[in-house]
Amino acid sequence: MSNISENNLESTSSRRDFFKKTAAYSVSAIAAAAVLAPAKLLADDENIIHHTKWGTTLGDELNKNPYGLPSKYEHNIVRRTSSLMSSAGDMHAAVSMTPLHELSGIITPNGLHFTRTHNGVAHVDPNKFRLMIHGLVEKPIVLTLDQLKQYPSESRTLFLECPANGAAEWKGPQFNSLQFVKGMMSNAEWTGVRLSVILDDLGLKPTAKWMLAEGSDGSEMSRTIPVEKVLDDAMIVWAQNGEALRPEQGYPVRLMLPGWEANLCIKYLKRLEFGKEPWYCKEETSKYTVLTKSGKAIQHFYPLEVNSIITSPCPEKPWKNLKKGQMIEIEGIAWSGHGTITNVDISLDGGDNYVEAQLKGLVLPKSWTRFSYMHKYDGKPMLIQSRSIDDSGNVQPSVSQEKDIIGVEGVYHRNSIVTWEIRKDGSVHNVQVRTDNCPA
Amino acid sequence: MKLTSKLIVATAALALTSTLAFAGSGPYNGTKDALDGGMTYPRANGVETAYSYNTQAMKKLNYGRVPTANELKAWDMDMMPDGTGYPEGSGSVEEGDELYEAQCASCHGEFGAGGKGYPTLAGGSVESLKNQRTCPGKDAPTRTFGSYWPQVSTLMWYIRDAMPYAHPKSFTNDELYAMTAYLLAANEITIDGEELDDEYVLNKEKLMKVKMPNRDGFYPNIDGPDGVENVRKFFANPKNYGAVGTRCMKDCGKEKIMRIGMEITNVVPPYSTVRDLPVEKETGSKSAAEKMYDASCVVCHKTDAMGAPAVGDHDAWATVMEQGIDKVNHNSINGLGGMPPKGGAMDLTDEQVKDIVKFMVESSK
Ligand code: HEC
Ligand code: HEC
Repeated sequence: MSNISENNLESTSSRRDFFKKTAAYSVSAIAAAAVLAPAKLLADDENIIHHTKWGTTLGDELNKNPYGLPSKYEHNIVRRTSSLMSSAGDMHAAVSMTPLHELSGIITPNGLHFTRTHNGVAHVDPNKFRLMIHGLVEKPIVLTLDQLKQYPSESRTLFLECPANGAAEWKGPQFNSLQFVKGMMSNAEWTGVRLSVILDDLGLKPTAKWMLAEGSDGSEMSRTIPVEKVLDDAMIVWAQNGEALRPEQGYPVRLMLPGWEANLCIKYLKRLEFGKEPWYCKEETSKYTVLTKSGKAIQHFYPLEVNSIITSPCPEKPWKNLKKGQMIEIEGIAWSGHGTITNVDISLDGGDNYVEAQLKGLVLPKSWTRFSYMHKYDGKPMLIQSRSIDDSGNVQPSVSQEKDIIGVEGVYHRNSIVTWEIRKDGSVHNVQVRTDNCPA
Repeated sequence: MKLTSKLIVATAALALTSTLAFAGSGPYNGTKDALDGGMTYPRANGVETAYSYNTQAMKKLNYGRVPTANELKAWDMDMMPDGTGYPEGSGSVEEGDELYEAQCASCHGEFGAGGKGYPTLAGGSVESLKNQRTCPGKDAPTRTFGSYWPQVSTLMWYIRDAMPYAHPKSFTNDELYAMTAYLLAANEITIDGEELDDEYVLNKEKLMKVKMPNRDGFYPNIDGPDGVENVRKFFANPKNYGAVGTRCMKDCGKEKIMRIGMEITNVVPPYSTVRDLPVEKETGSKSAAEKMYDASCVVCHKTDAMGAPAVGDHDAWATVMEQGIDKVNHNSINGLGGMPPKGGAMDLTDEQVKDIVKFMVESSK
């Protein structure tokens, strides 16, 4: 082998000559290999035979990008949106989806975190940031960003999900894409202070039942939150996966209510007021209410319920080039705003029968949890589904179970089982298994 | 510490006395006693679920300072259904109509009727809320301010803070009452049995009397001293909100398969999972004028949806330019129809607006 290292700056053709020569002397080695595989019949992989471009040139200087960037080859791994998910194609009031099909593990890189804006992405000057906490507290305060960050911090790995995730599909499947079927969510490690720590210091009056949270952007986004949640596990966060929040996620500071609607986790936070009565904000009346078939709507529907999705295979990641009889992993994500995932079941026949999948990695409350199931591929068409269960005992409903209770006009909080149809050619299609009684 | 310990005591008491409380089967010793029907987890001995935390005392940190009276006045501006926060002032339906035509109709349509892709602000009915598009051809429920919103305070508060879209927080209190009066009239909402005709003048007292048609269209009831308890009761029954999955493992039943009818494919950027080198874009960074255009004008001028000449539309700009550049600059600085002065970006100097207009004209040749 020393020959190669001495000549490693030679042209690839001379390297090939070298292999030819060596080959002549190692017939017995080749014969031994042929027992394992018919090596003679395989074409050589040019990527192995030739030197690579990156192996024969100098790379970039180490700090060319003081803030690192993904490989150029990853340029298609991006958030996507659609004019249908905006007002009139106006990308100031719109939503972009996380490419779930390209994520590994449970952390969403900050540049791929889904984003919903109601008045564009605001750019708050951290020096001018102020947070006011007042109302039914013994001592109202204003804090600068530095003062806020003096509070002892905690970190939690939590999902954030828009309750409109999957809203386009109450009446049937619309998108043939995992990114658009379930991409209005992400999972990250958030760092900040627990609101209970601040309130211990300020003293909350016993009459305080509700908290108004208000943002400082052009939409002045606001929501009413019950004090009980605030004291249980609510946080004010300033960091996302170890760095400052991204502007799309509410830089410099947002509210974080583990397991609850992302819209409640007010971005660009400016004010918290404690009071006796709820406020009736635009986003808890006009929007984010679930109109049921009775004609009445559920308001203050906070938690994202137990949910799951198979991420591999999926429409973007079909089962191509599989051999009959080979083993292949079915992998996905489960999550619940009500608690911790305890089980995930997989169906291979559209929900008639289920087998239990295994959880893998960290199993954390109100966070994505990965699940895995090894399947022996037999080339036949399949309808695959995942169904999750959490420690509150809730089980993810089927499309029909959910629809029969809510109807099809709820828009928000759709958590029913998703079905991927795998066709003979290995392509994967978004379908729904459901019963509708429409006149023919 | 007072609060947290109170909470822990309360939780423990609940766990002891309530048969509803359910010790979960998960890894973290949770109890099913959260307000939302989910789990709470014990926070004790420096551990909560999988996380450790610092157990040293966190009392008397005393960060920040007390806000001044003026600071509170400047920020504590929310409006509530009981009239809290309603400003002094008044405005008529007619004045509201003018404001609406000039500043809102370009997006929300004539009389709030929508049709431009932005939210519809008027029309619909409470009855329509029972509509379910369970089968093709059925009508949709219409959720507008008039047919759906439970409170009028929400509208005035929202308009003041968030509209008009490109330059929010620009109305006087009188204009706010006029705007609100107009939208009530457009939705045929009466006050004390009285229809809101053009001369009708709205003020704080009258606004407090508005009862929205769908006031009782929402549950659970969150008002009054029982509000939070009603929420708890609502979430205690999973059937109330569709959490009705069952863990069947065998012969659960077969249902029909519904495939995608018309697939939605207009996504941006287009779908691709290819790993190759990106096509190099035309280099050359954006001019200062283009950047200002992106920041302040593109929202209305990207398309003609709002009645603005779309940048890139040769004919539309040729027509605009027939007036001569001086007049066009004048209109851009002082406003014209649905176009607010300086597009609402009052921090731009006149010269900057002229530069942007030049860029828009050049880009549309
Ligand atoms: C440039 C376009 C534009 C203009 C001009 C505009 N709006 Fe809006 N309006 C929007 C958008 C976009 C939304 C939705 C925002 C969101 O997603 O939260 C909206 C939402 C609203 C809503 C809430 C609708 C609902 O059903 O939730 C009201 C009310 C409203 N606008 C009133 C007004 C009024 C009054 C004016 C004039 C003073 C105005 N708007 C001018 C774009 C516009
Ligand atoms: C809120 C929406 C909106 C914004 C923001 C806006 N425009 Fe306009 N603009 C319009 C509308 C609507 C018209 C058409 C007015 C008419 O003809 O009645 C218009 C017309 C114009 C015209 C043609 C004037 C004429 O004389 O016919 C120019 C030039 C123009 N805008 C420049 C700008 C510039 C520069 C900005 C940013 C600084 C801007 N606009 C921002 C809505 C807007």
